[in-house]
Amino acid sequence: MDFEWNDDQRAILAAVDALCAQHAGPARAIELDAKADWDAPLDKALAEAGFTEIALGVPETGSLEGALVVAEVARHAGTLPIGAQVLVAPMLVGRTLPGPVALVSLAHPGPVRFGAHARTALVDCGDEARLVTLAPGDGVPVRSNFMLPVGQLALDARRGESLGVGSGEALRGWWRVALAAELYGAMRAALDVTVAYVKRRRQFGRAIGSFQALQHRLAMCTVLVEATRWLTFEAASQDLPTESAAVAAAYAAEAANQIFRETHQLTGAMGFTREHDLHVWSMRLAALRLELGGASAHRRAVAAQRWIAQP
Amino acid sequence: MEFDWSEGDAAYRRELRAFLDAGLPSNWAELSVHGPGSDAQAAFSREFCGALAERGWLTQSWPKAYGGADATPWRHAILSEEMWRVGEPRGSQYMNVNWIGPTIMKYGSDEQKALHLPKISAGNVLWCQGFSEPEAGSDLVSLRTAAVRSGDEYVVNGSKIWTSYVAGAEYCFLLVRSDANSKRHHGITVLLAPMDSPGITVREVPAVIGERYFHELFFDDARIAASCRLGPEGEGWGVVSYALAFERVGAMRYARAALTLDALAEAARERGKLDDPVIQEKLGAARTAVEASRLLSYRVIDLRAKGSEPTADTNIARVAGTLCENAVSDLALEIYGAEALAYGNFAESYWRLAMTAGVAVGTTEINLNLIASRWLDLPREQGG
Repeated sequence: MDFEWNDDQRAILAAVDALCAQHAGPARAIELDAKADWDAPLDKALAEAGFTEIALGVPETGSLEGALVVAEVARHAGTLPIGAQVLVAPMLVGRTLPGPVALVSLAHPGPVRFGAHARTALVDCGDEARLVTLAPGDGVPVRSNFMLPVGQLALDARRGESLGVGSGEALRGWWRVALAAELYGAMRAALDVTVAYVKRRRQFGRAIGSFQALQHRLAMCTVLVEATRWLTFEAASQDLPTESAAVAAAYAAEAANQIFRETHQLTGAMGFTREHDLHVWSMRLAALRLELGGASAHRRAVAAQRWIAQP
Repeated sequence: MEFDWSEGDAAYRRELRAFLDAGLPSNWAELSVHGPGSDAQAAFSREFCGALAERGWLTQSWPKAYGGADATPWRHAILSEEMWRVGEPRGSQYMNVNWIGPTIMKYGSDEQKALHLPKISAGNVLWCQGFSEPEAGSDLVSLRTAAVRSGDEYVVNGSKIWTSYVAGAEYCFLLVRSDANSKRHHGITVLLAPMDSPGITVREVPAVIGERYFHELFFDDARIAASCRLGPEGEGWGVVSYALAFERVGAMRYARAALTLDALAEAARERGKLDDPVIQEKLGAARTAVEASRLLSYRVIDLRAKGSEPTADTNIARVAGTLCENAVSDLALEIYGAEALAYGNFAESYWRLAMTAGVAVGTTEINLNLIASRWLDLPREQGG
């Protein structure tokens, strides 16, 4: 047991932080959102620095380091399918895939993140997962207000190649871990900007962050964010996370909604504007918490994994 | 970052479980139904802790110089988890080991060490804790129980309330105000008070949590030998802060909650409720609360193992512990339904003993205050 990052992990974190400080950030996310585009230059920079393959660097690095990169890029509001590309694809297929990579679940129809830009899709068909190489025109852009480009992909259980019996479970497992990591990074940033705001914003002659009524709510948000952190990284450290992945995603999805509500309540009208950065993370939290059926589905998956699934 | 147990720690846990499987009496469920403060559990704890002591486990976390084994915080956490998991058969003696003994090691006279540490190590002495007063709850430093020095004794007047584990207790770790003119954390003194001192009377405060859960202690010119004072007079707040720093992790409620939740899923299956997607969802949600509590507690142990000063991680873990207890105990009643109306029913017992989680050892509100000030660095409320 050791809850501290080791020297190598700290170095990875510092390098991703520096790279994102240069290439990502809320201003960049807002710029891309106006064009409904994804961040190809950031993707290239991460690949050139070797981070896209980090989960494949066994024994030096693996899925835990992959999740670390995913969370850090999400904290910097990177506009790319970071979880799908850095964690899900490498762990499921054993190699990186041409990006952007879209994750699709046939059980949960609707537009998906990066659906209009994706070159590759990993499709959860239930028992099996399928790898689909997409052609131009496969994805149709859908206008969306959630600070991520989304598109509709018409896929079925016959396109592409099967990744084998049971690969559906593995896809859902890594998808949930990646989702939890992205939610964690975005939550952390949303809470950070809100805490900074309540220290700055003065009403009744004092910083509103000095009111205990607000402090308790922010403290409760802290509990949610910290718990999401450890649940995510514990699941990410496992060889084939199933129950722990569902636990992390269920907790993160529920926490994401609470963080959305509380950060917007405490930043008032300012938090709803495009002039304040909160919306970059909060709107993504609102979108990501819906993936794979959201908290309800993740929770039922926990129950199924722990108490119902036959050995 | 590493989330696996070492082989040594895993083997230790297996050994402990085997010991508990063999060592707990067949009527343990019945014995523990009223909670760890009950007469039955207090009496059993003497037998049980004696057996733990024989194996060298009771005070394994203590330094070798005091008969311990210098066990790591992780090893000690495994012991605490396994004990709490089955309903804390150590009764109140976990307090002796976790913080009363270590505080005596730090502040005690040679005479006090020689008197108390061997008793605690043998697992055959019960302590209670005299902190809260009718007017000093969360605001502990407003305590007023007065101790006036008279020759070789302190004469104590006042009262303590919400005291648990009084059944059979030989000593009380007692906080008094030894300087009548002092305020707040100044002028507080710790006395290791024998409960049979003249002038101490005990009244049970009947409560819905369980039998003999709360007591009031009255001190009417109670005479406590000055040799019972722990640390210098008037510097008791430093002593108690040291003591409480050992209690960072607190009760490992998630360990019992996890076991209970597994039993609840089985109970749901037996009652035909496990196919209900709403029940499935609630079981899953409760499991996430248990796992969150476990990992946040581990974070505190990790910091302790690394020699860090106490941080607000402790308060975060405590809030999560309460959320965990609430999630599991709410669901316990829902799954058992009207069956839970019977006293001592599995769901009822768990729910009843879990209801204090957000209040005992520091309320959720105090923990949230400390997260706000220490972790988020938010400004203090004026006049607060």
